[in-house]
Amino acid sequence: MTATRPWLLLTPALLVFAGLLLWPLLRVVLFSLQDYGLREIRTGESNYIGVANYLEVLQDPQLWRVALVNTLGFAVVVVIATVVLGTLVAILMSRLSPTWRVVVGTAVMVAWAMPAVTGTYVWVWIFDADGGVVNQTLMALGLMETPVNWFTGRLTFYLIAGLNVVHHSFPFVAVTVLAGLLGVPQEMLEAGSLDGAGPVRRFFSLVVPSIRQVFVVVIILSTIWDFKVFAQVYLMPGGAGSNREVLNLGVWSYVESFGQNRYGFGAAIAVLLTAVLMAITVVYIRTLMKEDQL
Amino acid sequence: MPARILTGIAAAAVVAFSLFPVLWMVLSAFDAGAGQSRRHPLDITWTWSHFSGVFTEGGLGLFLRNSAVIALVTVVCSGVVALLAAVAVARFRFRLRTTVLLMVLAVQMVPLEALVIPLFVQVRDLGLLGQLAGLALVYVAFSLPFGIWMLRGFVAAIPVELEEAAFIDGASWGRMFRSVLLPLTAPGLAATSVFAFITAWNEFIFAMTLLGGNTHSYTVAIGLKQFFGEYSNDWGSVMAASTVMTIPVVIFFVIVQSRISGGLVAGAVKG
Repeated sequence: MTATRPWLLLTPALLVFAGLLLWPLLRVVLFSLQDYGLREIRTGESNYIGVANYLEVLQDPQLWRVALVNTLGFAVVVVIATVVLGTLVAILMSRLSPTWRVVVGTAVMVAWAMPAVTGTYVWVWIFDADGGVVNQTLMALGLMETPVNWFTGRLTFYLIAGLNVVHHSFPFVAVTVLAGLLGVPQEMLEAGSLDGAGPVRRFFSLVVPSIRQVFVVVIILSTIWDFKVFAQVYLMPGGAGSNREVLNLGVWSYVESFGQNRYGFGAAIAVLLTAVLMAITVVYIRTLMKEDQL
Repeated sequence: MPARILTGIAAAAVVAFSLFPVLWMVLSAFDAGAGQSRRHPLDITWTWSHFSGVFTEGGLGLFLRNSAVIALVTVVCSGVVALLAAVAVARFRFRLRTTVLLMVLAVQMVPLEALVIPLFVQVRDLGLLGQLAGLALVYVAFSLPFGIWMLRGFVAAIPVELEEAAFIDGASWGRMFRSVLLPLTAPGLAATSVFAFITAWNEFIFAMTLLGGNTHSYTVAIGLKQFFGEYSNDWGSVMAASTVMTIPVVIFFVIVQSRISGGLVAGAVKG
C-alpha cells in the first residue's frame, strides 16, 4: 500500500507530462524527419525523408542572419543588458529605506506583470510611424522633418524589441538579486571595509561570490527566455514574416509551419532551437546539482 | 548629502522607466485623438469612448469571459494535480524519486514553442481545435512543473508529526489531506494559482494556433488583434483593451510578488 501510494499520487501529473509534453516533444522530432506538408497534416500520413529538412535549414542563406544574429546575438545583448540593469536596480533598492523600497519595488513589479502581448502593443504604439510619441516628440522638438518608420530597419526593429524585453524582464533579475543581497552577512562587508576594500571591490570580491548561485539562475533563465522570444517579435510590424530580415528562430519555425504549411521544415527549426536550449538546461541542472542534493 | 540625492534620482529614473509604457497605455486609452496627428505629444482629449467601444462593438467582454474560464480551469486542475504530485515527492521515499524530480525540472525547461506543431495535431485529433477545453488542457500541462516544484517545498515544511497526530486521532488519509495538508499548503497554492492564472491569461502563441478562426472562443491575448483596423490602427481602442487585460495581472502580481520570486529562487536554489 505504502509503496504504491506515491505512484497513485503521481499518476495524474505523469499522464499530463507524458501526453502533453514528452510525446509532443518526441513527435516534433518525428515530424522534422518527414516531408510534412498540408496533405500529411490533414491525413496523418508519414512521409520520411531522413535529415533533408535539417540539411535545408543548415544550407539556408537566411540561417546566419536568423539564428546567429536575430536569435543568438539578440539573446546575448538582451541578457547582458537585463542582468546589468537588474543588478544595478537591486543594489539601488537595497540602499533605499523600507518605504521607498516598496515604492520602487511596486513600480518594477508592474513592468514585470505587464503581459508580453500588451507590452509589445504599447512599445509598437510608442514607436508608431504616424502617431507614436517618439516621432511626435522628435518632430515637435524640430529634430526631424518627417516621421521615421522604425520597424523597417533590422537594427531599430531589434532595438525596440530589446527595449521591450529588457523592460519586461529586468524586474525578475532585480527582485531575485535583491533577495540575495539582503541575505549577505553584514559582518563580512564590514570586515572587507576594514581591510580597505572600496564599494566596487567589496561588490565583486565579496558579494558576487557569496550569491553566485543567484546569478547563475538569473543568467540561465534569462538566456532561455530571450532565446525563444516570440510574441515580442511576431506582433511587431513586419515581425510575422512579411519582413524576412527580422525573423528569429522561433518565429521562423512558426511562419514556415503555419504560414507556408511546411510543418516538417518548421519542426526541424524547432528541434534545433530545442537542442540549443536543452544544452543550456543541462548546464543549469548540473550547476544546481553541484551544490545541492535533491 | 549628494549620495542621497543621487540615490533619489536613480530611484526616480527606475520608477519612470518601469511605469512609462503603462502610463502611456492608459493615457492613450483615454485619448480621443490617439493615432491622429496633434500639436504636441501631450495634446490629449479625454474620453471614455474607447473603453465603451471595445465592450459594445469589440466584443472584449466575450474575450474576457473566455480568458477567465480558461484561467479558472487551469488554476483548479493544475493546482490539484500539482499538489498530489508534490505530496508524493515531498513525503514518500520511493525508488525513482530523484528521477521524477529531475524530470519535473527538465520538463520545466522544455521550450513550449517547439511543441506548437505536435500539440496542434494532437488537440485537433481530440476534436478540441477552436475550443476552450483544448487550450485549457495545454495550459494545465504548462503550469504543472512550476506548481509541483513550488508546492514540494511547502509540503516538506509541514512537520510529519502533525500528520501522525491526525492519524492517531483516527483520521483517514483523505481526511488528513483535507484537514492538515490543504490548509497548511494554502499560501503555496495561492502562489501556484497566480502563476497558473498568469500563464493562462497572458499566453499568446498557443491561443493563436489552437483557437484558429473561431473568434467566439478567443482569449483576450489574441482578441486584442481584432481592434486593429484594415487600413489604419485604432490605437485608442487597442490601448483601452490592453489596459483592461493588464489590470487583473498587475493586481495579482502586486499581491503575491514576494512569493513568486521567493518561490522561484527557493525552488531553484535550495532544491
